[in-house]
Amino acid sequence: MTAATALNRIGAVWFAVVALFVISGLISPAMFQFSQVLNVLQVAAFLGVLATGQTLALLIGGIDLSQAGMVTLVNIVSTSLMLGANGNIAEAVLVSLAMAALIGLLNGFVIVVLKVTPLIATLAMNSILFGAALVYTGGAPHGEAAPDFEWIGAGNLFGVPVSMIFWLAIALVVAWASRKTVYGRWLYATGANAAAARLMGVPVTAVVISAYVASAVLAAVGGLLFTAYIGAPSLGIGNQFLLTSIAAVVVGGTALTGGVGSVVATIGGTIFITELNSFTNVIRVTTGTQMVLQGAIIALSVVLYRSIARTRA
Amino acid sequence: MKETKNHIVSRRRILQLGVAGAAITIAPRWLGARADTISDADIAKSGGAVQMAKKPPPYRIGFSNGFSGNSWRAMCIAALKAEAANQPDVGDLIIVDGQGDITKQVNDIESLASQQVDAILCIANSGTAVVPALRNATQDGIVTVPFNLPVDGSDYTAYTGTDPSKKGKASGTWLRNALGGKGKIVALGGIPGNSYTAAGWKGAQEAFAGSDIEVLAFKDTDWSEDKAKVVMSDLIAAYPEIDGIWSDGGQVTAGASKALLAAGRPLVPVTGDDYNGLLKLYDAEKDKQPKFDIGLISEPTWESVVALRMALAILNGDEIQKEWIITPKLITKDNYKDYMRPDLPDGVFTDTNLSDEELKKIFS
Repeated sequence: MTAATALNRIGAVWFAVVALFVISGLISPAMFQFSQVLNVLQVAAFLGVLATGQTLALLIGGIDLSQAGMVTLVNIVSTSLMLGANGNIAEAVLVSLAMAALIGLLNGFVIVVLKVTPLIATLAMNSILFGAALVYTGGAPHGEAAPDFEWIGAGNLFGVPVSMIFWLAIALVVAWASRKTVYGRWLYATGANAAAARLMGVPVTAVVISAYVASAVLAAVGGLLFTAYIGAPSLGIGNQFLLTSIAAVVVGGTALTGGVGSVVATIGGTIFITELNSFTNVIRVTTGTQMVLQGAIIALSVVLYRSIARTRA
Repeated sequence: MKETKNHIVSRRRILQLGVAGAAITIAPRWLGARADTISDADIAKSGGAVQMAKKPPPYRIGFSNGFSGNSWRAMCIAALKAEAANQPDVGDLIIVDGQGDITKQVNDIESLASQQVDAILCIANSGTAVVPALRNATQDGIVTVPFNLPVDGSDYTAYTGTDPSKKGKASGTWLRNALGGKGKIVALGGIPGNSYTAAGWKGAQEAFAGSDIEVLAFKDTDWSEDKAKVVMSDLIAAYPEIDGIWSDGGQVTAGASKALLAAGRPLVPVTGDDYNGLLKLYDAEKDKQPKFDIGLISEPTWESVVALRMALAILNGDEIQKEWIITPKLITKDNYKDYMRPDLPDGVFTDTNLSDEELKKIFS
């Protein structure tokens, strides 16, 4: 993959983001308001953290469909541990992250060692995680987020949403790691051709498992941020992320086949999807029209700048 | 002589003991019935008489629950189980979960029918899809009682629930009065395309007719607090002035109100249902937010109990009316304290026949 193609991939999604911003603002001037831009970025953060993890799973040639179930389980478990008390925050966060790491390990193990297809393995795990949340609560969740904790999802630092700060910090660290470290090169090599990578000395098994651990842990972080935003437990909270976490990554330009893509571009993809969602909320269309518009625009944008990237390269 | 006297005395004694015994057995039931939310409820019964030949107890009751992923359903099931435990004629209660899947629920009903249960209660995911399965079960002699969410046609034994379009009209009228007949409102629905919200919203719009109430937008929120908050924050950006919120779910207006708080906008008159979280939010914010007002109409989780009692009555050979429409409770700022449970979780639906101890057990 040449530098020019990479630049194209990173560049193309940002054209789409700017174009959508301009068009949505022209149709609905409310979208240009600074407060609305911040609102969109605040909400994009939750999807963004998940999509960052999803990028890693896609880069190594896999997929993680268990992120949605992880968000739900983390939301349920963390609120039931916090019970609205600031003193419980550390325990709730640590338990959630530890749980996620274990589940990521399990995902990786099932996929690499037991050789189950990632789509099936993670989809099954998604079911298990949601089922676990249902069993844990008996259908009746209790608990709430602590007031100090809610600040990280719903609060502002010098006028900037804290969730967005967390998201961008995490994404940029992961982006740096994926581009500037040996581990990052291993990720891309494994995704491009796992057999060749193994022959070149890349510890493919460890890399794949680590990608799933990262994806699960980042899903948990996204779930914690979202829990902070809402403040309450909800058994359906993760459902919206099942496929949008993948859409955000794909719209950013990462290939579903692996080995090609960029965490920075996923940031763009996330903003695009959230902006689109927000725009269709604001204009007066029915939910059905909203869904059709979103699907069509996402598909169109992916087709469009794939062809731009191809003609430029 | 002495013996005869003893004989007369002992007969009187037996009579006294008998009366005391009868009083002891009857009184608890009578008192229990008095203390029952459900017996005090206002239920309109219509639709024609339904009666079947008496079947001997014990009865096997099946419940096909469309899905179980929220606290309303959890409370509904708990109330049903508690009632089944209290009813000596119920031998077996089989609960199947449709997991939100329309096809699975049809299979569930068919498999309950093939297990030859005596009655099938059901909350339908789709009022159309379950019709053939319920019809077949009814023709097989099984007492079918769908409840809470309506089923098309009348190929079932009996039905109970609230009337969503009447509820919508009542909540719409309340909102119209709360706004003095004019203002800009947003409307938040549930799962896209569901008939309960559609009927309610239609009723509400009838209530707004002829007033100066402007509906800025109608958005679906899947009845989830998190989606409501996100959707509302977008609407807040789009509309600088929002004077009221209409919704058929308390958790929806709770989420939307939190979005207003986060954006620094004043809280406004809202509708919804008996969701505890909204009552707690109202209690916390009402002194700081003069315009905040609530006109909530409950969706009683004890509808399952009514459905079970209807099924048992029919199995007992009694004659009942086919449609029992329950009048829900109106909760406003004047009576919300009677319903709010400050030490119970947000997810409790406060128009309930379950005691606080039972609720604590469910929500733990």
